[in-house]
Amino acid sequence: MNVEELVAKVKEILSDMVKDVVVHKGNDYIEVEIDKDNIIEAAKRMKQAGFDHIKDLTVVDYPKDGVFRIIYNLSSYSNRELSYYIVGLAYNIPRDKPETVTLYPIYTTADFQEREAYEAFGITFKGHPDMRPLLLSPPVAEMKPLRKDFVVKEEPIDLK
Amino acid sequence: MEGNGGKGEGKVYVGNLDVAAKSARKILMSSLRLGKLVDWGTAFSLWPVHLTTSCCGCEFAAAWSPRFDNEQHGALPWIAPRQTNLIIIEGTVSKKMACAVRLVWEQMPQPKFAIAMGACALDGGIFYNSYNIVRPWEIIPVDVYIPGCPPRPESVARAIVELQRKIKRDGVAHKFVEEGWRPDKEYVKPKEDVCAWWRG
Repeated sequence: MNVEELVAKVKEILSDMVKDVVVHKGNDYIEVEIDKDNIIEAAKRMKQAGFDHIKDLTVVDYPKDGVFRIIYNLSSYSNRELSYYIVGLAYNIPRDKPETVTLYPIYTTADFQEREAYEAFGITFKGHPDMRPLLLSPPVAEMKPLRKDFVVKEEPIDLK
Repeated sequence: MEGNGGKGEGKVYVGNLDVAAKSARKILMSSLRLGKLVDWGTAFSLWPVHLTTSCCGCEFAAAWSPRFDNEQHGALPWIAPRQTNLIIIEGTVSKKMACAVRLVWEQMPQPKFAIAMGACALDGGIFYNSYNIVRPWEIIPVDVYIPGCPPRPESVARAIVELQRKIKRDGVAHKFVEEGWRPDKEYVKPKEDVCAWWRG
């Protein structure tokens, strides 16, 4: 299976939900953009098609467009042909209302990834069983440190 | 100990214990010159606590391995803070870990010493100006710094030798016995409560 066949396969799986497909350099990663409301249905279909786990969850902040782009990187262990590729399932949510739904019931590995997105960007995943900060302490998580408008405090270098 | 109805007979008058102990300490320290002995003893019983804050902990572990053998300097990592007197901060200290560092530091018996290891412990290193780190000298008084990213195990050995020299040269330990605190080092109190998030 080459990457064109993968794109065709993903388009066939998701059919009308696909808004845009980008093949990244290296031909082993494609990014599929879908609509926010379709994410659960899309994840269910992708899981049935053989993408059995989430490798990673990435959030990108676009302050000029006023959106957060949430990307679930899916791949496969059980299907050998799909395991060479990673498919990014991406969708945008508005920046001023950072709420979306969890994929925890479909992909169990989304648990910690979504908690990290919650602590770093302040995105709430509805339906998540345990929506607490994962690594950061609660006061730091409240600052939402990975947002683009977060300003780090300048600290001088002065040893004692 | 009690007298016969407070009539004065059979009473044992005990002087001010603090004053008595202090003068006894002074006599021992000045006339018998026990100070050097105390310093010598302390210099060769530096027990670092096992508190691996970050990745420099690997080099810390290697420093006590057979190849580098820091035990020859009279220092051996020990498990519980109550039985240790040296804290080696290994690398970057995150805000969550700062609470643990401070708690361990407060549990250790006096006289106690601190070594900051690695570039992150000096000024932040690659995490300089990050939102989630604390410089160790903001929460505990540091005696010796080891630069490097990460420092080699030899550097850890050198830092311990340097600390021993400092103890013997400045008489840190016997001054602590005389005064009751370390006169060479200021008391460091964290600017903000590092455990506030945990206490709730």
